[in-house]
Amino acid sequence: MIAVTGLGAITALGGSATETWEHLLRGDRGFREVSLFSTKGYRSQIAGEVVSMDRVGAGGDVSRTSELGLLAAREALASAGLVRDVARTDAPWGILRVGLVMGGSTAGMLETESILSVLLRPEGTVDPAAREQALGRMLSHPLSAPTDRLARELGPFARVRSLSSACSSGSNAIIVGAAWLESDLVDAVVCGAADALCQVTLGGFNALGALDPNGARPFDRNRKGLTLGEGAGFVVLEDVEAARARGAHVICTLRGWASRSEAHHITNPEASGEAPARAMGAALARAGLAAADVDYVNAHGTGTPLNDPMETAALARVFGEDLSRVPVSSCKGQIGHTLAAAGAIEATITAMSIDRGRIPPTGGLVDPDPACKLHHVHTAYKREIRAALSSSFGFGGMDSVLLFGGAPADNGHAKLRRTNRRVVVTGVATLTPAGLLDGVDVSKLPSLPSCGEAIGADALLGLDVNRARRLDRTSRIATVVAEKALAGIVASDVGIILGSAFGAIDATSAFMRRLAEKGPRFASPADFPSLVPSSPAGHVSIYLGLKGPAMVVADLATSGECAVTQGFELVRAGEMDCAVAVAVEERSAIVEEVLSVLFRAPTSSGATAMARREGAAAVALSSEEAARARGLPILAEIADVIAWTSDTDPLANLAPEHGGVVVLGAPNAAVDEYVARSSWADCPRIACSDHAGTHEAVGGIAVAVAAAIIARGDAASALCVGSARGSGYALLLRDLSR
Amino acid sequence: MQRTDLKLHLKKLLVSELNLAGRDPAALDDDAPLFGDGGLGLDSLDALQVAMLMEERFGVRVPEGDEARPIFRSVRSLAEFVEQNAEGRNSEG
Repeated sequence: MIAVTGLGAITALGGSATETWEHLLRGDRGFREVSLFSTKGYRSQIAGEVVSMDRVGAGGDVSRTSELGLLAAREALASAGLVRDVARTDAPWGILRVGLVMGGSTAGMLETESILSVLLRPEGTVDPAAREQALGRMLSHPLSAPTDRLARELGPFARVRSLSSACSSGSNAIIVGAAWLESDLVDAVVCGAADALCQVTLGGFNALGALDPNGARPFDRNRKGLTLGEGAGFVVLEDVEAARARGAHVICTLRGWASRSEAHHITNPEASGEAPARAMGAALARAGLAAADVDYVNAHGTGTPLNDPMETAALARVFGEDLSRVPVSSCKGQIGHTLAAAGAIEATITAMSIDRGRIPPTGGLVDPDPACKLHHVHTAYKREIRAALSSSFGFGGMDSVLLFGGAPADNGHAKLRRTNRRVVVTGVATLTPAGLLDGVDVSKLPSLPSCGEAIGADALLGLDVNRARRLDRTSRIATVVAEKALAGIVASDVGIILGSAFGAIDATSAFMRRLAEKGPRFASPADFPSLVPSSPAGHVSIYLGLKGPAMVVADLATSGECAVTQGFELVRAGEMDCAVAVAVEERSAIVEEVLSVLFRAPTSSGATAMARREGAAAVALSSEEAARARGLPILAEIADVIAWTSDTDPLANLAPEHGGVVVLGAPNAAVDEYVARSSWADCPRIACSDHAGTHEAVGGIAVAVAAAIIARGDAASALCVGSARGSGYALLLRDLSR
Repeated sequence: MQRTDLKLHLKKLLVSELNLAGRDPAALDDDAPLFGDGGLGLDSLDALQVAMLMEERFGVRVPEGDEARPIFRSVRSLAEFVEQNAEGRNSEG
């Protein structure tokens, strides 16, 4: 069983989990006038702004988001009694392998906004030094930047992951942490999320008409929308037995979890609540519990007109007649909607409610809406809680549910479940400026001549114009490759894990430009959802009808390898039977300028900047059992994936079988050295960047090529290696038929 | 602007701004419902976008909630609303 042994939170109500909890129970509301930026012209001037944090220093990848995350993660580790011995660089956590999973959506957006006036002026009209300094602040912009900051300050960690599924990011970080524990990839994991306030999110929800000027009133008849908040939440998870053996206090247990997609609409929830109900049912099934065992529900409860009745409908599907018995409350009328952080903060609150036997109230609720017929909680009260659900629903219909239970009296019934399913590749597709390839044809990609810098518009013409009208270019590219690789596999449990380093940075800057130049009234409601880092995964899920887990991962230059790795991890751990891992990177003028300034990439003579192109790959993954049951083609098995965060000898335990080939995305000195030291040193080596150019998705192309080479019978095993900044991924593929 | 021109202008605006690729603005029926089946098939997110565009391009502010329903019924009702409320603004935006 998985124990929760550490909690940390920072919110508008307080600078720690306990302080937040105490104010929450008292019914205090943390809403105040926003001080971080001007709110002139917005529907609402208030938000759940954090006041218990000192002003954030500038520089490097530091952002308000990263500092919120740092405080909460540090608190969680300390409360779990996990103390790092910095003197022992080889084993800072003693015998424990400790992981870090962090969710987010805004990352360094607030900092990017602060340099907007410089970015928006044409080059040549700004002092070059000032422009360079401003562009340097963009280091905090990528989704992975706050995670990297935490890893540096609190680590090193054995395994690190950055993800986003919009407002369910925090819950999904905890789900990925749980999967790592059950797959024996880590012994303990600190997982959570952080999001700081910024003008893009306030402007976006303002444009959607989704802000309540008087403060969110979840489930109330007169509710007008949400109030934004900011903050961070983290939990420490580990095996109950192992936690007790090291003398840690078990606060509660994480009994079940599930993530499902609505595949319905990019902003609006599907009114019947079918997908959240499916997630709740799956979480209960995983725990071996029934709805009757649940004594409290910590609701998503945003206070928007659409969410609250939908959530009521979902709960009614799961609890039936029993619904009137179960207290349901939402923290968002007091903390605000902290977006990516919400699921993680609410997980800490749900854990405390079990540990302390108290039900927190729904702040702001006065007159319950008859369409939200629930057992509401107007003031906190004492009650023993056997099990509690915490729900989080994100843009694009990404619904995640966590189920917590009490600490077991003895260890006899608390064995950690171990899962280790065999994972196979059932389809691959790549899209480069030269065109679309799929199946065994992908094996030809490395030998094709390079062709242009950008993917042509004709490559995207196969999409249905009506269904694709809301898809931005990144999402269109992703959908084309995902559809090809899946080759018609549609089932309720197909997931999508999409890797993208920078997301829609040019679209974000266009949205910010309108916001800055025309004011909040003219911010585009239709463009806003595409700025959320998880939106390409949401768009693919909606277009293709994929109803399993959907999320985006990011790890800068190795985002492609990261996507396949996470897809592999979640299929192996049984979170989904089938999934498509997509790597996609679109060309961006801003990214190219930032990279050229930061890394001084030669633009005239050197190869680096010249070869920077765009591309995408999709790798359809399935458990072997599901592939055989559905009669899917098996191109190759993914036999193992190694992910490392510090420079060791990562390939030591991966040996070629019956002739191997090394397939690299973009080779670099570190990768060359890893391979040279390994038993793969004498194997033929293929670099996909010769054809596909250099970009952050090229590692995903390498995995697709490796699977196609094996499927064609050209090699019995293949190794894909991607590495940047000392960390990296190695994926071992082999021919399952030999 | 003549009413016919305004309606065509609105149709072009809807097609381009809402990405209704493959639709010929000139072929759209003045009375076809904008929302739901049997017309353009727009949804509430489009309604927000159209309301924003009405204000940006024509300087007319569409009321929120149920009052907006009759305005958003068709291209004809949108054009009537613009004509009644534009007060001599430059409709070319």
